[in-house]
Order: sequence, then structure tokens, then C-alpha cells
Amino acid sequence: MQSLDDTIAAIATAPGAAGLAVVRVSGPDAVRMADAVFEGGTALARAAGHTLHHGWAVARGEDTSSRLDEVVAGLFRAPRSYTGEDTVEFSCHGGGVPARRVLSALQRAGARLAGPGEFTLRAFLRGRLDLAQAEAVADLVHAETESAGDLALAQLAGALSSRLKALEERITDAAAEVEARVDFAEDVGGIETPPHVREAIAAVSRELTLLLEGAPWARAVREGVRVPLVGRPNAGKSSLFNALLGEDRAIVTDEPGTTRDRVSERIELSGVAVTLSDTAGVRTATSPVEALGVERSLAALEGAPLVLWVVDGTEPAAPPDPLLSANLDGRTVVIALTKSDLAHGATEAEVTHALGGPGRRVVRVSAITGEGLDELRSALRAALGADRAGGLSGAVANPRHTDALTRSREALGRAAEAAERGEPGEIVALELRDSLAALGEVTGRNASEELLERIFARFCIGK
Amino acid sequence: MRMDEPVNGQAPAREESTRHFAPSPGAPEAELPENAHGAAAREGVFDVVVVGAGHAGCEAAHACARMGLATALLTVRVTDTAKMSCNPAVGGVAKGQMVREIDALGGVMGLVTDRAGIQFKMLNRGRGPAVWSPRAQCDKVRYSAEMLALLGAAPGLVFVEGVARRVRVRDGRAAGVELQDGRRLEARAVVITPGTFLNGVLHIGERQLAGGRLGEHAALALSECLAELGLERGRLKTGTPPRLHRASIAFDALELALGDAEPEPFSHWTGRLEVDQVPCWTTHTNAATHDVIRRNMGRSPLYSGAITGTGPRYCPSLEDKVVKFPERTAHHLFLEPEGRETDEIYVNGVSTSMPEDIQLEFIRTIAGLERAEMVRPGYAVEYDFVLPHQLDATLQVRAVPGLWLAGQICGTSGYEEAAAQGFVAGVNAARAVRGETPFVLRRDQAYIGVLVDDLVTREHREPYRMFTSAAEHRLLLRSDNADERLAETGHALGLLSDAQLALTRERWAAVEAEEERLSRVLVTVAAPQGDARRVRAIDWLARPEGRYDQLPELGVEPRLERSLRAALEVRARYRGYIERQQRTALAAAELESVLLPESLWSRELTGLSREAVEKLRRWRPGTAGVASRLAGVSPSDVAVLLVHARRAREVPASQR
Repeated sequence: MQSLDDTIAAIATAPGAAGLAVVRVSGPDAVRMADAVFEGGTALARAAGHTLHHGWAVARGEDTSSRLDEVVAGLFRAPRSYTGEDTVEFSCHGGGVPARRVLSALQRAGARLAGPGEFTLRAFLRGRLDLAQAEAVADLVHAETESAGDLALAQLAGALSSRLKALEERITDAAAEVEARVDFAEDVGGIETPPHVREAIAAVSRELTLLLEGAPWARAVREGVRVPLVGRPNAGKSSLFNALLGEDRAIVTDEPGTTRDRVSERIELSGVAVTLSDTAGVRTATSPVEALGVERSLAALEGAPLVLWVVDGTEPAAPPDPLLSANLDGRTVVIALTKSDLAHGATEAEVTHALGGPGRRVVRVSAITGEGLDELRSALRAALGADRAGGLSGAVANPRHTDALTRSREALGRAAEAAERGEPGEIVALELRDSLAALGEVTGRNASEELLERIFARFCIGK
Repeated sequence: MRMDEPVNGQAPAREESTRHFAPSPGAPEAELPENAHGAAAREGVFDVVVVGAGHAGCEAAHACARMGLATALLTVRVTDTAKMSCNPAVGGVAKGQMVREIDALGGVMGLVTDRAGIQFKMLNRGRGPAVWSPRAQCDKVRYSAEMLALLGAAPGLVFVEGVARRVRVRDGRAAGVELQDGRRLEARAVVITPGTFLNGVLHIGERQLAGGRLGEHAALALSECLAELGLERGRLKTGTPPRLHRASIAFDALELALGDAEPEPFSHWTGRLEVDQVPCWTTHTNAATHDVIRRNMGRSPLYSGAITGTGPRYCPSLEDKVVKFPERTAHHLFLEPEGRETDEIYVNGVSTSMPEDIQLEFIRTIAGLERAEMVRPGYAVEYDFVLPHQLDATLQVRAVPGLWLAGQICGTSGYEEAAAQGFVAGVNAARAVRGETPFVLRRDQAYIGVLVDDLVTREHREPYRMFTSAAEHRLLLRSDNADERLAETGHALGLLSDAQLALTRERWAAVEAEEERLSRVLVTVAAPQGDARRVRAIDWLARPEGRYDQLPELGVEPRLERSLRAALEVRARYRGYIERQQRTALAAAELESVLLPESLWSRELTGLSREAVEKLRRWRPGTAGVASRLAGVSPSDVAVLLVHARRAREVPASQR
């Protein structure tokens, strides 16, 4: 673990063309080091916090000094700064070079180059942010689309935290009811896990399920999502790919098996960065090159939660290629029935019957006329769970959160089963504590400590 | 300056109380053991001085003496040794487990309870294994006598009668105790266990008397001495119900509460318990009772503002129950005899500090008690305690090496909690004198470990009592396996004999062997559909309906002695859960093994939240595990703390 009490500096803005670039220096010596590279009206050391100072960033040698860039220095004194430490932010001209020069000057003045997320870590460690908020900041920095920005901001405002805290409260209440019956059977009496407690467990479990159902969409918003187009050779994948993209990116011929390599391009779908991958048709290969392509197509399915299955709409409905169908198990699949401008080979119902697993939506499209493309987009959007998320506020976008909430819900499930089997209270309580501990990984709270408080508030304990 | 006189003009009241509430006549005086003769005149040089001969002091003194040290046990009256000031019972949920642990380590509470018990009950037998808890009603007089006899037989232990005035400190270390009459007891370690006597004030209605128990004095100077040593004190309150004359109760109107048909002993070393058990009775309060309380609330010192100390919520006064739970129209009461012969009946459930006339008035509204007469009224007692964050994990005062505290002075309530601490403090005092390493039990090892850890790492606003919910590994901390968990430790401490250890090993080897045998034996059991199935006997035991006692009905000869059968059933039925808790315990033990050097707390602790730094400086946790349990210290704080700890070890503060 790196040191947490030295002074660190880094370029705080994303690389790339922009009007401004910000260099941030934070730590006990931030102001002294900033002064070492700054030439302005007043020395920053004598200035008040929350002030801006126009001047020049300079590189000072033994007896010379050269100007690096015209800058505005923002001075934030501890603890009223992003990190909670003394912080100076230099707004430099964009383009990368000036900011890099200022940064190296700061390094020469003694600052250590900050590791990724280190500013945020410090903010978190000094109690400026809670864990969920700290992670949201990192997300905000990496947000690629507008909607991703909204989600990160909502999380920053604690939307997820407050939703989880409400659930935490309810589990704590349920646990207190169970614990009270374990320790104070004589005072509280009754069966160990009463029906209203079981109902509460079930209700919280349902809410966690809802939150988790929103997770793929939230994660897609946060990280983007890759959607491979798969299907038999000559089903029209590349045409559909180009149509969705709005440009001729993939080579289209009448010859089956034209696409040998994977071609990927990004589109935006309701605010989500979707990377479409056109793949080689899957069939028993006729040449070594094609075989390689098939292999890559199947590899493209790895880790893709959503797959667009492209089926030639002019062909009669037929059972799917076993190789392909085996690889689609357990994934969300949208079926595109192509070439709708030509004679239909089968009805949608026949195709659904032949290919449709549970919940697989079939959409008829034409890459030539554009018919059905909007419908296909909204089918993809729905398949990502956009409609279930109930708005992005408080949605779980972070895989670490998803994991913790999943474990929390599993523990609730085990609690419900244990209660159902008539296990004693301490067993049900053990599961409820596990559930609380998992939630606490996200909220940062140790709720099980509050159990006794609840018990005393609620029950008349003691003879 | 003499600080031992009452400071607020309560002396006359105290004298009056002495006349009024003398110990009940007819109680046989305990026979004094050999080492108690001459106690009133004794002074001298010892290894350890234990101040107070209550439940904490007795365990401490016994452990020290058994560990071969010259031990003085200082008490006001030898015959009051191990007096049960409140309810006449030992054990109960979580407490019973703790007594079994003390016993498995070589302490005395379990043995004395077995000898003084008049009704034995395994609580919660029909519930889960974590809450199977032994409890025994005891004959109070007999309890004192048996403890006295046991301590009398301890080599190297002498009784000293007198009142401690101050702890003598030399070169920053505790060096003995000075008594009120000027006598001195020199020692290399001092264990203080004053109970409610530490600046105790009794409340009965509007009346206030200085004292630790009705009719007895308070220890005022000692509390001042602790303050002079720089210790931060707080004030707590507890209460006790009235005692009634046996002859004035209409028992026919009450419901009987009997002990177990086959009583099980507390102690692992008692063998078979031969006891003629006595009954208890139950009744309950009613609307009329509550009405009396409500009408006279202004006369209760709890509600008039006279009492400032914080009382325990788990043992509320009747006033509290009526106010806080107005919807309850009845509260359950137990009538418990204080002894086989004695006239006094303890009314469990009506702890109160109302004036005597009101107490009698509400008592007489209760079914069966319409003509009741009081032997002694109930009362509340306020007393000083030392905020326990000032103690280390052995209960030693950090600021005064050589000085240990145990019992109510550490903010706990209950005989069992006191005894557990007395044991820990005594053993550690003895080990320190012998130059040995500290004795600390982990949270996954014993309730005693949970108790001490909770005391020294948490903020306490009320007297601390043990609950099973305090133990995150409670499936491991069962009554049935106390000796399996702790006998090796007790033997290593020198408190269990080789024979006792051998017996323990033999018992658990028998359990293992039986488990092994039953996993090979097949039995035929009826399936739900009516057709019989063959299953392994151990799998049948794992079912809710599986009972070891019923094995003969399935054609399997039981081989385990009765006291081990529950243990086997629990192992079979809860194996998966127990293994899960063992895994979490293991993970927790890792953090526990990271020691935090004392020098850490004088360094600048950067990178931690301000709240965490505050808490860490206050509690000065000895291990990263303790630090992780402090409220306000997050996992990231612990991660950062590990960095500081590493740095503190590598770079002494002076070189930074």
C-alpha cells in the first residue's frame, strides 16, 4: 500500500483535445510545492483558501526561471478540499503538453505522481466520501456518455447508499426480532421466526432482486456493453451490422462466409455505449481460414450478456445449429429475422417455435429499407433491462456492489429456507447477520452492532 | 486527607438502616476456615492482594492461590464471602455457558453452584443449541459456606478482614493496599473487586443511604483513590426486588415451577448430581399493580431525578416496565426461595426503588401475595465504575501496571460476568507476578473472551450483561463443549490437574469414536410416504426428529454417557453451520494476530478518518482485530492502520 501522508500530484483531466487541463497537487506540502512552480501576484502560502490566482507556471533553475504556461491556480485549504488535504489545482491550457510540463515541475519540487484513484482514496480515507461515493467519483471520471454521467452523479448524491440503508434497516429489524427470541425466549416468547419476520425477509429479498435486475443496465450504462451478432453464414449479419451502424463498415457479398474476422464498432443506444461485433457465420467450416473465423465467433460470445442472433428471414424455419445453440444457453438473446423486404420463408411464430428460448424476442428487419430497425433497437434496450431499472437513480452499476448485494440476497434466501425448515433462531440469525455484513460492504456500516439497541427498544426484556 | 467518611450527611440514615434491616435471623453463620482466623489483625507481604470477596474476588483469589502465589483476600466480613446480593440463582442464557467455561478453565463458580444448588434447570432444551443454558437456584447461605470451604482449602490463601482505603503505588506500579485502620498489605499485584460498594448509595423511595448493600457500608475512599490515580469514572445503577416472608404467601394460588427431573451439574468435575430439589412459583402483576405504580411515580427516585446512574435495560425496574410498555397489562413474576431453610422469598421481576409502603401496596395486589409481608424492601443502588477503555485485554489498568479490576467496577452486572472477570484478572495478576505472558481468550474461544473484549473495546452506557447475541461465533460457544474448548488452556494455566485433562480428552475421544461408529451403522427409519428406508445413523441424528436417546428403538446400542449426548446431537445436526462459523473465526483470528505496538498511539496517524483516530487513541487496541471492532473504525481505516503499524515497527517515532 502506498504512503498516505505525502504530497501527490497528477493531471486531473482526461487526456485528449480539450480547452483546459487541470493539474492537481494535494498533501501536507501542496501549497509550498505549488508556490515553487507558480509566479503570481501573491504567494499561495499567504493566500486564503477557496481563492483563484492568475499567474504563470514556471520552472525555476539555479538562478534562472522559465515560464511554462499561463495558468489559474485554485487554492483549497484542508479540510475544505476534495481530498480533505491542502490542495492546489492549476488550470493550464489544453493539449497535454503544458499540463505535463507543470506536472513534472511539481515532481521536481518534491511531489509524488499520484496513482490511479489516489486522490479519491484520500478523500475517502479522510471521511470526505463514503465508499459508494468514492467509487462513483471514479465512475464519473470515466463516464463516456451523458447518461453514464447522470448515473454516476446520482450515486454520488448517495442514491444507492440511501436505498441500501433503507433495506439495511429492515433486515436489522428482522434480525432484532429473531435475536430477541434467541436471548429472551422467556420475555418475548412465541415461535422463533414469526410470520411477519419471514414476510419482511421475503420483501427485502424482492427489493434486492429488483435492484439487481437493474444492475446489467446500470452496468451497461457505466461500462458500455458488447453485443455480438451471430448466425449462420449469409444470414445477413454484416448488412444488419452496417444498417445499425449507419455506414458500410463490414464487407457484404452474396457469398456465404465472407466475414472471416470480427469487426467491431460502437453505437449509442439510449445513452449506452454498445459495441456491436460482426462475426463470421457459424457452420461446419469448409476451409481452415473459415474454421478460424468460426472459432473466433464463438469466442466473441464469451462474457457477452446479450447476443443478437441473426436469422435469414427468407428461409423456412429450421432447428438451430447445435454448436451455436449450445453457446447461447444462459444468455439474453434477441433474434433478428432479416431480409423482410423479400418473401418471408416462415412466420414469426414458426421461428419463435424453432429458435425461441424463454423470453427471446423475434424482430423482423430489413437492412435495405430500414424496416424494423427501431423496433430492434428497442428490443435490445429492453433486453439489457433498461425498462426494469426503474430509472437509473440508485441503480447498482458497480460489479463489486452487484456481488455484495447478490450475496446479501442469497443469505436472505438461506434465512428464509432455514425458517421454513423450522431451524432454531440462532441459525436464521446467522444468515441474517451474513446478509447484513454483505450489505455493509457497500454501505460501510456495521449494522449487527445495533441489534441489541433494537431489541431493547422493542421488547420488554427482563423479569 | 481522609476520604472515607460519608460526604453528604448520610451517616445517620445509614445507622438507622442498620437497625432496621439487620440480616434475617435464623441464617446459620458459616463456619470459618482455618485461614480466616485472625483475619481482622493480619497484615504483611503477599504476591497478590485481592480486594473484595464477592464473585469476582473469590475467583481471582482462588486462581492466584492455586497458581502457587501468596494471596490475601481482603473483605469486610469473612462470613459474607461470595454473598448473593440479588437473585438466588446462577446461570441462565449465555451466563450459564460462561459458568461452564470458568469451570472448564479451573475456576470455582460451577463447583460451588453444584454444592449449593436447590433447583437445576437446563433452559431452552427445546430450542437451538446456542441457547441451551444451565441455571440453578441456590441456597444463598450454603453458597457462601461452600465458597468459604473451597477457598479455605486453597494453599497460600489467607483472609484479611478490613476496608481498603487506597492502592499503594510505588515507581508507577501497584505495590499493595492500605486499609482504613492503617494496616498495610504489600503485594506485587493488586486485584480490586468492590462491586456496588464503590461509592455506593442506596435508594428506597425518598430515602438515600450510603452503602453497597442494605445495612452495609460504602467504599468511598477507594473510589477517590482511583480518581487520584487518574482513572475516569462513571456512575451506574442497579436494583433489587423486595424479599417476602415465606409464611405470608398463599402458595396454593400460584403455579409451580419445577427443576429438571434429571438435573445436570454445572461443573465438569461434579459427576452425578444428588440433590433434593425445591420448587419455585410463578405469578404476575395486573392492572391494579400497575395502577399503584402509576399513582406513585413521583415517589420513585428513578423518576424524580434523584438517581443519575444508568440502569440496565435488560433488568428494568417495575416502574420502567410500566412506563415503557404501557400496553402490557401483566408482567410475569417468579417467586424464588433464597434457601432451603431460610424464610426469605425473592420476587423476581419487581425490582423497584419505591418507598416501602408503596412496595407493600403493589405487592399485595398480586395473586397469591395479598397478605404478603416484606422481610426487606427492594431498593436501587448507584455506584461508581471505572470506564473500562482504561484497561488492557487482561483487565489491568493501563496507567498503573500491577493493578487489575474485575466485576461491577468494570461496568458489568451479574455474578457470572463478575466471576469471569475475576478469573481473568486473577490469572493475569498471577502470571504477571511469575513473569509470564498475558492470558487472553479470543472471541471465538469463549464467552469470557467476548466479555473482556467487549468491555475494553466498546462504549458502555449501562451495566454490561452477557447475551448470546454478543457472540458472533455463538454456535461454537456452547454449554455442551466448554471443556472441549478450554480444558487444555485450564491445564496449561496450572488450574486443572493432569487427571482432569485426561478425563476431558477421554470424554471427547468417546464423542469422536461414537460419531465415527454412527456414520458406519445403518438404521431403518420410516419415510414420509410410509415406506422404510435405510440411512446412516448419524444422518438420522442430523434430522430434527433424531434423538440419541431413541437409538435403541432403531436397534442401536447407545455408548455415550448422558452428559455427552447433546454434544453429539449438535455436531450431527449443525455440522455445516458450525464449520461455517469456524471458517469466519479463522479469518478473524488473522487480524487478531497482528499486534499494534503501544507506540503507535503517540504517533501522528495520518490517512485515517478523524473519528477513527479519536476512537483508536481512546481504546488503544492491542491488535488489528480489536481495532476493526471499534465503532467508527472502517475496514479502510484498519488497512491504513496496518501501514502505520508496520512503519512504527520499522521506524521508531524519534527517528522520523
